[in-house]
Amino acid sequence: MADTHADPRRKFLKVLAGGTTAVLGALAAIPGLGLLLHPLRAKSSGSGAEPIRVAAVPADVKPGKPVRVDVVSNVNDGWSRLEKVKLGAAWLVRSPEGRVRAFSTVCPHLGCGIDWDEKKAEFLCPCHQSGFGTDGRCQYGPSPRGLDELEVVASDTEIRVRYQRFKVASKTKEPIG
Amino acid sequence: MTHDPPHRGPTHHPQHHPQHHSQSHHRPHKPPPTRLARFGTWLDSRTGYSTVVKLITDEPIPGGARWWYVFGSILSFLLVLEFFTGIVLAAYYDPSVSGAWASTAFIQDTLSFGWFVRGLHSFGSSALIVLAAVHAIQVVIFGAYKAPREMGWLSGLGFMGLLLLFALSGYGMPWDEKGYTAKQVDFMITGTAPIAGPFLQRLMQGGETMGNYTLTHLNAAHTYILPAFAVLLLVIHIALAKRNGVTPKWGVDEAKLARATQPYWPYQASRDAVACGVTFVLLSLIVISTHGAELAGPADPTGTYQARPEWYMLPVYQLRKYFEGPLEMLVVVVSPAVVSLLLGSLPWLDRAADRDPARRKPILFGALFGGIMLCVLGYLPIRHDAHDASFQQSRAEAEERGQLARTLAKKGVLPEGGLAVYRNDPAYHVRELWNEHCATCHSFTGRGGKDGPDFLGYGSRPWINAFLRQPDGPRFMAGAKFEKGMKAVAGTDEELGALTELVYAETGASDVDRALAEKGKGLMSEKDCDSCHDFDGTSGNTGPNLKGYGTLAYLIDVVGDAGDERLYGAKNKMPRFAGKLTPEEIADLGRFILAESRKQK
Repeated sequence: MADTHADPRRKFLKVLAGGTTAVLGALAAIPGLGLLLHPLRAKSSGSGAEPIRVAAVPADVKPGKPVRVDVVSNVNDGWSRLEKVKLGAAWLVRSPEGRVRAFSTVCPHLGCGIDWDEKKAEFLCPCHQSGFGTDGRCQYGPSPRGLDELEVVASDTEIRVRYQRFKVASKTKEPIG
Repeated sequence: MTHDPPHRGPTHHPQHHPQHHSQSHHRPHKPPPTRLARFGTWLDSRTGYSTVVKLITDEPIPGGARWWYVFGSILSFLLVLEFFTGIVLAAYYDPSVSGAWASTAFIQDTLSFGWFVRGLHSFGSSALIVLAAVHAIQVVIFGAYKAPREMGWLSGLGFMGLLLLFALSGYGMPWDEKGYTAKQVDFMITGTAPIAGPFLQRLMQGGETMGNYTLTHLNAAHTYILPAFAVLLLVIHIALAKRNGVTPKWGVDEAKLARATQPYWPYQASRDAVACGVTFVLLSLIVISTHGAELAGPADPTGTYQARPEWYMLPVYQLRKYFEGPLEMLVVVVSPAVVSLLLGSLPWLDRAADRDPARRKPILFGALFGGIMLCVLGYLPIRHDAHDASFQQSRAEAEERGQLARTLAKKGVLPEGGLAVYRNDPAYHVRELWNEHCATCHSFTGRGGKDGPDFLGYGSRPWINAFLRQPDGPRFMAGAKFEKGMKAVAGTDEELGALTELVYAETGASDVDRALAEKGKGLMSEKDCDSCHDFDGTSGNTGPNLKGYGTLAYLIDVVGDAGDERLYGAKNKMPRFAGKLTPEEIADLGRFILAESRKQK
């Protein structure tokens, strides 16, 4: 082999080969990563929209007897348009002043589904045992805040709930989306 | 290159390249090594990675680097690009009948860069096939398949087969009219093959007809099975190419080649990098100028899309036209098999050690003839279609359908599958509303509604005239079964014409005879119209207030609440739709009724 190390073009060719490969890699990676990282920019649908009518009327919600209702709506999920799917659920509670309040069933700790414990008369997260009162306040367990209250629009004949999701594992209640 | 030639190993030369410290090469005679170099030495002592790196960088290129050696590297680059874009697309693709077309349309039209990545993937596959052919032609001209490189040639041919399988499986994945119909034909052809045909068809199709199994199987083949084989074959092919080295130009003596030998890095590497760069730029320009790969409307099993195979399959498609019946099988199965066999046996047909093309004329002319035949057979169907007006028309219609479907897909596609996208069309939605809420009583047949008036010609002079003569006729209020409905208007043709014009004037038509309508107004009390009907738009009477009769606003009022006292009042039997349908839906229905009533039947 010729002593190529004495070749003055060698350095230039190295830069050319390395540089072209680097630029090429970047050019190919940008659109690919741009597409792959789309979820970081995507907006969630079906949250915080109009209050949605639920399958309960105010007379169903008696003091000390929370009622679990599904919040059903049309949503867009990626390429799909879905009709009448569950957005989530809410616990309807009659407050001491006689008002109907709604709490999201999503635990503010790590998002498990909150259940009603009939015997203890409290809300309980089955995953990490956070307990909540009928006023939504966290009584014990790891949850950083009380249950997330949802806006309720009630008349004699219907209950509407504005469904929203909130950031979990945070002291403050911050809506997502 | 398994034998280490003497020039291998760390290079020693008097020149100093301080910038080389950042490289992985460890140069013991250099001043204190940097941290990175020390880490490189440590890593190498534990893994020996530099041996692998050197195997590539120090590969001797006998006779020196050449531009005509770049094709193998371009192919490797394109393959990596296919893998990368394929993985990114897989993050959004849904291999199911309900989601395949919708998710592809979503990638193409909604996601940023989606059309570009999909375009690179699609046009990149065509580029792979073109460049694989160029690579093969070069091997044939150089006689590079000759001993000891026979296995390299065979693994390359195997790779080409794999590329075709990749392309054939990928074509159906968008589940659009084009891909679906093409796959339908492919499966049918497979099914007609002797013995294993029906079995293979069922396997690929996932049952007796195309459906979810087809997509999950295409997807499994395209994204898991074929890539595994591709990696395996590529490793074998490249390992063989490294072991046996490049094939220099014929007729140059060994000593001369040895004198001019250069290492791969950076001499051939820089040429390869530039060639890959040019390929990528050209590919990107094609993708940008076409705005990515085509996407037709969603697959329609009942459609009449004129299927054509992928461009690289056109020669077989054309050849099929010359043979019919049982001979068709001969073309589709036997002819590719014969061509593959001929190509595969090339190293043994052309055994002489001499690689000089001048002394291998029969082989080269044979290959040239084969190549020209392929091009001609591939071109003929393109030319035929270009002159076929019905094909062009059908394609234009399909294109229009595809555009509409893709526009509608931006609202999201219902889970029923691709075709459900057309239900996003407002025109489709209003027809659904009509069918659900109105068609049980009303019609546009001109014969009569079941329980309400028929609207063919509604608001026209003949319709109004006929109504006045027989309000309880089958085309009008017979179905409504009013207890004390309107009585037929008796009078001369002129009188009825004048009254017709009076009502017709309310529709806002441009050709109203004002004088005649005025005359009709004069007949109102004589014919006892005014005891039930007003024309002021405010008064409620026993019959509808005819202000604006036949206009969109009037229809919106009727559909909203026909029982309003200004309209049919207590007599009304039609349901109230205000509150049940949105104001937009009611207005759409009104427009729909006007549009349908004016259609010629």
